[in-house]
Parts: sequence; C-alpha cells; structure tokens
Amino acid sequence: MGRAKFLFGPVAGRGGIVGLIGYFFRRSFLNVRQNLLINALAVVTITLSFLIVSLFLLLYVNLEGAGELWSEKVQVTVYYDRELNGNEFSALKNVIMTLEGTGTVGYVSQDAALKRFRARLKGQEALLDGVPPEVLPASLEIRLKPAYRTSEAVEAYVSRLKKIPAIGEVQYGEEWVRRLTLFMNFMRFAGALLGGFIALAVLFIISNTIKITIYSRREEVELLELVGATRFFIKMPFLIEGMLQGFLGALLALVILAAVSWAFFNHAGTFLLFNPQEAGLLFIPMEYCAAIIAAGILAGFIGSLTSLHRFVNQS
Amino acid sequence: MIQLHNVSVTYQQDVCALHGISLMVPKGDFVFLTGASGAGKSTLLKLIYAEIIPNRGQVIIDSQNISRLTRSELPPLRRSIGIVFQDFRLLPNRTVMENVAITLEVLGLGRKEIVERVTRILTQVGLEQRMQATPCRLSGGEQQRVALARALVNEPKILLADEPTGNLDDENKARVLAILKEANCRGTTILVASHDRRLIASSHKRAVVLERGEIREVHDGAR
Repeated sequence: MGRAKFLFGPVAGRGGIVGLIGYFFRRSFLNVRQNLLINALAVVTITLSFLIVSLFLLLYVNLEGAGELWSEKVQVTVYYDRELNGNEFSALKNVIMTLEGTGTVGYVSQDAALKRFRARLKGQEALLDGVPPEVLPASLEIRLKPAYRTSEAVEAYVSRLKKIPAIGEVQYGEEWVRRLTLFMNFMRFAGALLGGFIALAVLFIISNTIKITIYSRREEVELLELVGATRFFIKMPFLIEGMLQGFLGALLALVILAAVSWAFFNHAGTFLLFNPQEAGLLFIPMEYCAAIIAAGILAGFIGSLTSLHRFVNQS
Repeated sequence: MIQLHNVSVTYQQDVCALHGISLMVPKGDFVFLTGASGAGKSTLLKLIYAEIIPNRGQVIIDSQNISRLTRSELPPLRRSIGIVFQDFRLLPNRTVMENVAITLEVLGLGRKEIVERVTRILTQVGLEQRMQATPCRLSGGEQQRVALARALVNEPKILLADEPTGNLDDENKARVLAILKEANCRGTTILVASHDRRLIASSHKRAVVLERGEIREVHDGAR
C-alpha cells in the first residue's frame, strides 16, 4: 500500500491539464523503472548511435578549424622596389582599406624583409653576410576577411586592387589558394554527404530501437484500448518515454565523448608526434552539443510516434 | 441493453464465426453463452466490446450502433464495459494493485479514490494480501480474480467474461460465480461465455447455446 500511494497521480478530469501532464510524466518514469532492461538496451543503442554522430562532428569541427587556420595565411602582397615613406603608406592604406574584403594592411620595409629572411635561414645566416637590405623589395601585406579567402574571391579582389594607381607588383600564391579552396569545398561537401547519411542511419536505428521497446509492450497498448483509454492517453507516456530515451542516449554519448576527448587532448602528447592542445584541437561547440541533445529528443519522439501510430491503429 | 440483429461475422473471407445471430439482453440480466470450442462465444463477446465489427447485421449497445461509432465514441463505450479475458491479459511488470488501477486511471480518477476503490474490490475478491505481488507470483485462480477485479472496479454497466472459471477448482469457481452474481445484484448486466455445463446449471441463469456460429437453443434458467 505504501508504495502504491505514490503511483497514482491526479489524472484527466479531476486534476486538470497540469494533473494530466503530471500523470503522464509519472507514468513514463514508472514505465522506465518497470521495463528497465529493455529501456537500458534502447538507451545504450541510442548512445552508441549518437557517439558516431558526435565523433563525426568533432572531426568535422576540427578539420574546419584547421582549414580556417590555414586560410588565415591567405594574403595579398604588393611589392615595391623602393621604400615607401610614411605619407605614401598611409595614403595607400586608406585607399586599400576602402576595398571590400580588406582585413588588415601592414608594411614590411626592406630592412624588415631582410630580417625575416635571415630568421628563416636559421643556422645558415652567414649566407646573407654582406647582403644589403636594398636587394629585397619593400611590401604591403594585405590580409583578407574570412569570406574573401576563396580562390575566386581573392582573384576578384586582386583585380580591384590593381586598379588603384601607384600599386606595385601583386602576388598572392594562386596555386596555394586554389588548393585550399578545393580542400575546403571538398571537406564541406563530403561532410554534408557523410553527415546526412549518418543522420539518416541514426534516425533509422533509434526509430527501430524504440519500435522494439514498444512492440515488447504491445499487450499493454491493446489492453489500454480495450479498457477505454483514448489514443492520446495511450500515446503520451510512450512519447515521453521515447523522448527520455533519446535525451539520455544523446547526453551519455556527449559525456563519453567529452571524457575521451579530455583524456586525448591532455595525454596524447606523450605517445603522438604532436601535442593536441598546442595543435588547437577543440571539443564540439556548445551549440552543437545542444543540437545533439535536441536531435536525441526529436528522434525519440519521432521513433515513438511512428511505432505507436502503427500499433494503436492496428488494435 | 444489448441487442444483436441478424449478425454475421466472417474471418478471412470464408471462415464463418457467427451466422444470423439475433439476441436481446435486457439491462440487469445475467446470461451464459455456452457451446463447444469454436461455436462463436468469444466472437460474440468481441462484437459487444467492439474489438470486431460484424460483416452483416447490427450490434446495438445502449442505443449505440457499434458499426457507426467514430474513433472518439469508442473509448466512452468501452469504459462502460468490464471485460474478463480468457487469457486474463494482466500486465506482468505491474503489481496486482496497478493492474486493477488501470481501469480507474483511464477514467481520470484521483489518487485517493483509486487507492480506496482498488483496495475495496481486491478485498471483495479476497486478494487484499496480494496487492503488491506481480501476476507471475499468483496462482491461476488468483490471476482470474485480479482480472475480475479489474473488470468490476469501475462498476461497469455491462460485464463480459470469457471462460472466467476455466481451469479453476470447484472452490474458486464458486467464488467467481458469487462475485459475478453480486455485481449483477448491483445492476450490472452480465454475459459469461463458458462451456462449463455444471456451473451453468448450478447458476440458474439464462443460457444461450451456440453451435457452429448459430443459436441452437435458449434455456431460461428457471429452477
């Protein structure tokens, strides 16, 4: 008697809509407890499915991050065979800054260029002994805004840049930019394609897992129909249960991935050739985590709804 | 009142389960449906709680034609009918108390009222000590009484029982029959499908004999 008192809540009619919702939630949690094994199996399956999704997202986010990092190296250089004085640089910078897509404009004097060159020849600096700074050109280094770092955008930018009077020789490493653009486009296309397939597969797996949990309790569905429960009354606890399974599965997947990622980021340096922390590897951003949780709840809801639609209408 | 007018039911296009059945069960009546296995007793009960729809004829329950019920009209009708299934249909993961409470949860009663009414009916069927047991821990007779309690707990207008004494010993049979008679005395119309001729004879109630889907004879049950 003691335990039973907690099982029945105020339900439809007497407790109003709040009482009804309260009843559905209590019923769902109780159903999970009473069908613990099948629910645990469903959550494990959903967790594994979402581990694949979140692992894919983790790889995608870091590849995208690496691409962004490389794209920061996209720069347009304007060479001059003489030094520009302060006024000339300011005037040119003001004009270049008005060009759409310009991020920053910096000046590298002939002296600075020689120092940079010397630094690159680390250990063999002696080769440059006696070489005067005038041998190297002075230059303007223009960094572009992220959206203007594709091959087409850089080309268009350079043609606009060349129209500015007093602009010198322009170089921007066409081949490198073209390859970077190609890589980024391929990665986005492959990511969308693979992501789409994974999402479909996961939805299919979750839907069928939940279908099995409902199928194992079809007698309950049939009985509820025969004692006069409305379809809404029958479906609601199952829908909440499905959403709960999806939520728990997605959450567990993220927790496991976070733990594994943390261990990898902090300890992989000891057995890999690079340190993941220094390489700038990131965990999935919070908004993606929220999206995974939401996707779990949605998949649980859809899985339950489609299965119930079949069973409730059949009996 | 339950009325069947020239009702026929055919399964899988050619298996005729009921053929041209006409039957009237007035409110508050107690009727046995009897006959050999396959005579159509269970099918006739299924028609009344609208698990199946007749291929021909009309089934009218309290002025409602079950063939014309909409989806939203079906649950209220079923809430007024208590059913004891031949295979009990108890939920294995729920306790005796929860199994019986299902009927009242569907009605939307409050917690206190559910506990009170479930306790009362389980006491009536002699299972007050087994409330927290799950069905698998009960004997056949106890499971039968739980099914009976679930069907009677909301004091339905009609009670349908499919072989409620099958596989029970004489003591349990008498107990079940007494519970059914008590419900009948409180105004519930009762239809019991049974092939137990001794039980029917001892009950002194009207009995409709079915044979191959047709009504063969009707005994008025008078002493």
